Amino acid sequence: MKRSLAVIGIIAALAAVFALCISLGATFIPPHTALAALIGGGDSTERLIIATLRVPRMLMAFAVGAALSVSGLLYQALFRNPLADPYTIGTAGGAALGATVAICLSLGAGAVTAAAFAGSLAAVIAVNALAARRGFSSVSLIVAGIALSFILSSAVMLVFSVARPQLVHKALMWLMGDLSIARYALLPPLGALVALLIAGAMVFHRRLDILSFGPAFARALGVSPAAVKNIFWLSALLAALAVTLAGVIGFVGLIVPHIMRRSLGPAHRLLIPASALGGGCLLALCDALGRSILPLSEVPAGVMTGFFGGMFFLVLFATRGDAR
Amino acid sequence: MIAYEIGAVEAGYRGTNVLEGISVRIHADDFLGVIGPNGAGKSTLLKLLTGNLRPSAGTIAFRGRALAAYTERELARELAVVHQHIENVLPFTVEEFVTMGRFPHRRPWEIAREDDHAAVAAAIESVGIAGLARRPLTELSGGELQLARIALALAQDCGVILLDEPTSFLDIAHAVRIMDALHGMHRRGKTIITVLHDINTAADYCTRIVGIGGGRIAFDGPPAAVLTYENLEALYGTTCIVYDNAVTKKPHVFTVPEYARRG
Repeated sequence: MKRSLAVIGIIAALAAVFALCISLGATFIPPHTALAALIGGGDSTERLIIATLRVPRMLMAFAVGAALSVSGLLYQALFRNPLADPYTIGTAGGAALGATVAICLSLGAGAVTAAAFAGSLAAVIAVNALAARRGFSSVSLIVAGIALSFILSSAVMLVFSVARPQLVHKALMWLMGDLSIARYALLPPLGALVALLIAGAMVFHRRLDILSFGPAFARALGVSPAAVKNIFWLSALLAALAVTLAGVIGFVGLIVPHIMRRSLGPAHRLLIPASALGGGCLLALCDALGRSILPLSEVPAGVMTGFFGGMFFLVLFATRGDAR
Repeated sequence: MIAYEIGAVEAGYRGTNVLEGISVRIHADDFLGVIGPNGAGKSTLLKLLTGNLRPSAGTIAFRGRALAAYTERELARELAVVHQHIENVLPFTVEEFVTMGRFPHRRPWEIAREDDHAAVAAAIESVGIAGLARRPLTELSGGELQLARIALALAQDCGVILLDEPTSFLDIAHAVRIMDALHGMHRRGKTIITVLHDINTAADYCTRIVGIGGGRIAFDGPPAAVLTYENLEALYGTTCIVYDNAVTKKPHVFTVPEYARRG
């Protein structure tokens, strides 16, 4: 009874988010008109806007938000640190350097995407190798990740200092996490990959619960160090895909798992799907608002998530007291 | 049956040996207490027994097979470990927490089945915290949390249970409840191996006591035979008096302060 009510509630919330996201934009199309356009009604301009622009963009935002939230959730469990996020281990720094170099060399969009993905993977591989020398402990991963992130962001600044201003602006937009430059052609395969990786994370739900209590506890219950590595890579790939699809979008991967843990408790069987849905909805909504809030230009989704995510978090923090 | 067969083991960290020439056979019906001064090598011995540290020389066999040959999962089905500390306490309920003890017996992604619930309920009941089953761990006292951890080890359903100072920082009432629970498990056929800080607790409950000092086994035997003031003074380097506990008839150790020694 309780469960079926929850399912109905979730479906209703998803439907509401969906309707809102395809309605909002440079021109507001009321939800009923937008939904009618989706199934072939309305005028041809509306049909074109909804089907070719808003729906793919919403799906893109949803996939990126879901990937970032689940990635953050996995790292927070693995590092036993509520401040860990998808970028803690250098994923964003690597992608940023790759994309910045590609953009400042005036390479095409395909090359930018490829450079971002290669950069984030290279960063993860480097952190992985550095931490492996110290037994793959969470402290070693965090320290290696933070140090590498500093080095990579210095390298980005170095590229900025020598590149042409127009190209720097373009690179900056990418760094802010801008879904308007998202590569829609990549959505079907990468979206499917994100779904697959999240399903993969579900396989580890009990091990994540156990790992949250620390490595010695987990080992005594037979959770092998290989499982830790697998979770690390699942999370790294989710973050790398998100960054590759849409640039560096902050805060979603930090606050969504946090909010879910506060409201649903510590069990990953619930936290993984809830973070995926919550992160997807949050980013889709932030992006839809960012598209419609200013009359003539778009606010990058990364700016929206930081602003509204931060506000929401502070309100939650102030009203809920010190409950963990 | 033999739980552990340890032959001429040396072990330590970064090339420096903490333990040297340790040979001991632990029987399945032992309730073994490991005592010794701080830094004597008790924790190192425990790490060897859990497989978290590999010996630099010598052999360790667990239930007739080289310890190193077990996978983590295989070992977790036969050996439950209760470490001294838990790194992180999360608001799982006692019931959910104890259910984690069933993890080695199921496929990793499976959720608990009916017989798991029965084992979990029995484990919680047997350490006397049935009333706390739905309480989050974060709301328990230190003693209650320790009882929940013992229940988890019980739900794990292993032949051998290893514990590292399970009663440290607990009041005497909780310490007795923990030790009584271990005593009950021993009577039901489990091998209990525990590091203990308190010699008197070890004397009252253990069938066998191993004293470790300077990286070697100083003495090994039943409490009445090995807990003599000569053995203890040599091991700890302080003056002791040993009397029998009036009720349990087990040896009890009293320390002597310096001002009294002079008098």
